[in-house]
Order: sequence, then C-alpha cells, then structure tokens
Amino acid sequence: MWRRYGDAAYTLVTLAIFGFETLALGWLSLSFLLGRATGIASTRVEGVLLATVTSTASALALLGLYLLTYHFTSSLRDRWHVERLDQWTERWIALALEDVPAEAAADTPRLRRLPRAAVDAVLSLLEVVKGDEGDRLKAVLARHGVDRLFLRQLQKGHLAARLDAIEGLGKARLPQALDPLLSLLQHPKPVVRRMAVRAAAGTLATMAPEPGRDGPGGRFIQALQGASLQPGVVQESLLLLETRAGVVLRDLMAEPDLDDSLRRVVLETTGRLGLADMAEEVAASTVHPDPELRAAAFRALHRLGSVPEGAQASLLAALDDEVDFVRVQAAHAAAFLSAGAVLPALESRLGDASWWVRRAAAASLARLGDDGVATVRRAAETHPDRAARDMAVQVLLETGVLDPAAARLVKGVA
Amino acid sequence: MTQTPRTTDARILVVDDERVNVILLERILQQDGYSKVRSTSDAYKAAALYDEFEPDLVLLDLHMPGLDGFAVMEQLESRTPRDTFLPIIILTADIRPEVKRRALAAGAKDFVTKPFDRTEVLLRIQNLLETRFLHLRLDRQVVRQGQGT
Repeated sequence: MWRRYGDAAYTLVTLAIFGFETLALGWLSLSFLLGRATGIASTRVEGVLLATVTSTASALALLGLYLLTYHFTSSLRDRWHVERLDQWTERWIALALEDVPAEAAADTPRLRRLPRAAVDAVLSLLEVVKGDEGDRLKAVLARHGVDRLFLRQLQKGHLAARLDAIEGLGKARLPQALDPLLSLLQHPKPVVRRMAVRAAAGTLATMAPEPGRDGPGGRFIQALQGASLQPGVVQESLLLLETRAGVVLRDLMAEPDLDDSLRRVVLETTGRLGLADMAEEVAASTVHPDPELRAAAFRALHRLGSVPEGAQASLLAALDDEVDFVRVQAAHAAAFLSAGAVLPALESRLGDASWWVRRAAAASLARLGDDGVATVRRAAETHPDRAARDMAVQVLLETGVLDPAAARLVKGVA
Repeated sequence: MTQTPRTTDARILVVDDERVNVILLERILQQDGYSKVRSTSDAYKAAALYDEFEPDLVLLDLHMPGLDGFAVMEQLESRTPRDTFLPIIILTADIRPEVKRRALAAGAKDFVTKPFDRTEVLLRIQNLLETRFLHLRLDRQVVRQGQGT
C-alpha cells in the first residue's frame, strides 16, 4: 500500500472519505446525545446504538489521524535517511579521493559499529569506483568488521539476512568473499544461487588473474559447472565478468565435458560480447551433433561479424541442414564470407520452405556487395518460386535498392 | 589570435539517477579544478538544465527510470545545432557491444564503464573537452574569415 507512486494521493482520498464519514457519524452521535437529553435516546436499545455510532466515529477519526501521522513521519524519515546517506557519502568520497595509501584508510571515524546509512553509502560507492579509491573504501569495511559480518551472515543468517549479505558482498567485491559465495551455488534455494553467482562474477571481475584450475577463474568455472542455474542467470553472470569474461569464456569452451546447455550459453555470451578473437573457438561448435549448439555457434559468428576460413565448409553444409533454425543462423552468418564462396548456396536458399531461411538468405545476399544485390534483383524478377520472388522484393525494398513504385513494377514483370 | 580556454573552465553537466554517482563525479571534477559543474538526478530536468547551463560536456547515465539516457540524448540532439560538437560521455555498467553501438548512434562520443577509475574518467573528459574547444575555435575562425571577405 505504501512506498509506491501516488501514495500521497491515496492518503488524501482516504482521509477525505474517512473525514466525511467521521463528520457524518459525529453529527449523528451529537444528535443522539442531544436527543437523549430531550428524551429521544431513552431506551436501552437506543443507548446501545448511540455507543456503537460514537465508537465507530472515534475509530475512524483515530485511523484518519494515524494515516496522516504515518505519511508525515514516513516522509520525514525518508528525508532524514537521504540526508544521512548524503553525509556518509560525502565522508567516504573525501576519504576515497584523498591521495593517501590505501592502508591509511583504516584511520576512519572510530565507531564501534557503522550505522546502516554508512554501510549503504560505502557499498553504493564501491559499485561505482575501483582502483586505489575502491581499495580505500574496502579498507573501511575491513576496519569496521562489515566484511566479517557479511561473511558470517552468508553461512548462518536466515534467508533475508543471507540475501542482504550476498547483495552487500556483491557490491563490495571483496576477494575473500569469492569462495564463500561460490559455495552458495549448491544452496537448495534458487534465489540464493542466483544472487550468489552474480555477486561472485562481480567479485571475480575485480580480482587479479591467476591461470590454472586452482586460480579464482578456475574455481568459478568449476562451481558454475556443478550448479543448477537457469541459462539466463549464467549468461548474466558471465556478462558481469566485464574484462575477465574473455578469459573465462575461453576456458569454459576448452572444457571437454562441458554440459551442452552451458556450452550454448557460452556461445551466446561470446557473441553478445563481440569477442571476435574467439571466432575460431566458436567455429568449432558449428559441427556439433546438437542442432541447438550448431545454431548457437552460427548466431555467435554472425554477431562477431567474422567467419574463420576453417568454418567455411561447415557453414556451406549447414545451409542444407535438415533443421530449419540451423539453416536460418547459417544463412545470417554467411554474410561474412566472400561473395564468390557463398553466393550460389545462398541463392538456392531463396527458395527454402522456411520463411525465416528465405529472409536470412535474401538479407545476407543484399549485404554481399554488388554481386549479391544483383542476385537478389534477378531472383525478384525471375525466380520460379513466388515466395522467393516476394522475399527478394521485400529485402530490396527494405535496403532501399527499390522504391515502392519500382517494387510494384518488378512484381508486375514477374 | 584567440586562446583556447583551459579545460577546467568548461561547463560540465552530470545526469545520473543515483545520487551517490552524482556526488562522486562532482567531487572528482571539483578536486581536479573544474568549478563549473551542474548536476541532476532527475532525467526529466536534463533538457531544461542543458538550455540554461549550455554545457561543454555532458556525463550521462544510460539506465535511468522513466527517461533513459537514449531519450535524454534525443532531447539534447534536438537542442544542439547540427555543426556543434557536443561531447556526451556515457556512464554505464552495461558492456554489451549492441548497447554501445546504439549509444554511439544516438550521439554519444565516449564511454566510462562502472565501476570506473578516477584517472580514466578525468582523461576522457579532458580529451573530449580539448576537441570541443578546438571545434569552437575553428568555428570562430570560419566566422571571422567570412566577415573578412
């Protein structure tokens, strides 16, 4: 009911209704009282009725007052919290931007335990700064035992406290929290696993790279392989690895026993991040027995904008794949091969049974320079299949090669 | 010959819905000598503030509730003369290339990825301000030459 947009309007409307009812009931109570004085409410029943009306009016008045007070104090509290947050933010910023070594940050205000606003402020700042400034803020957390408190809550706290601790550690990105966070990937509750993997990924992103399976990246990969996580959650966590994503994705792809669904996510993420130097590794999956993986590999190559020479044969073969969504992705990726190599194969796909394959083939042809455009134009006029002619015209229209009048003319000719 | 102004004389506008980010950027800029810094954590006020303040550079968060960074860039673009070089630096934690491509197409000139490094932020700001001032200087020279002929 509270803390949403429009809560002020809600309070006013509620107060208006309660106020109106209170006035009406108050007036009724007064009338009864006056009536009692003049003998109207003289019976026992009338007395009960009078008490009921009076108590209802009082309850409504009390409730109205409570609403007003709640709203007022709530706004006041919010303002006070923002002010406290700003004060602590200023304080931590001053500390973070000082040109002193990180160790000197330990000399912060000597409070036994930091107030909530102070912890919130330092965690918010840690989301934004890194380098020496971030190290100084992390030293503040260590100095006041906030990191130890979070780590304790990770293991022993009830669910809400545990989630709070994961969120806090995710913002703080403390290296010592990586392993405790990774251990939570085996937690029975999906929400804990989801938050833990995100926090672990953010933490790993700030850690110094160490090669090998025992390094932080290797431990992250092992934990990821053993965890039950939704593909979307895995992809999000891989994206959160920032500049470390390339190394982790490459190591994941090199895992011989990598689960198919995880491999698919790795391919998707590589494409999304545009890691073009990994095109060779991605291309290796274009001949995978699982069609979902073949399609994911071609989609990734399309996003990378690069098809290695070694994958040319598999791409041409995939244009004739028995699974239509593999043909679609292969046709999209074909735009990044030379026209001479792929033009006839793409032209033949203009007559594919699938609308999506025809569309991908026509779009890729249109991107293959003058020869490709000429092929689409010829198909628009002379292809024996009407669906192929229509698709060719549509793509020529969309790419601006034909204007609507010319398109009608071409259709008429065909 | 007109001297190119110092970059620290530049007017800088910060638009970010997170107050912490706004305060942090203000302090970083002030500490580096920038005295003309205005900011807002309400994206809806960005255009009005832009009109009033006429900044030399805008630091803009991409993901904001209501009006996002793309919409703000659209508003600013409609207010900026076609030949004017207005540097917009995007503050974002989103590293996906498609987001960067979209932002660049919308008029962004550079990116700062959160969490950011103070030195990197300041260098990017300085570089773009130098380019902005060179553009302004060139514009003035063109006008002067036009008046001379």
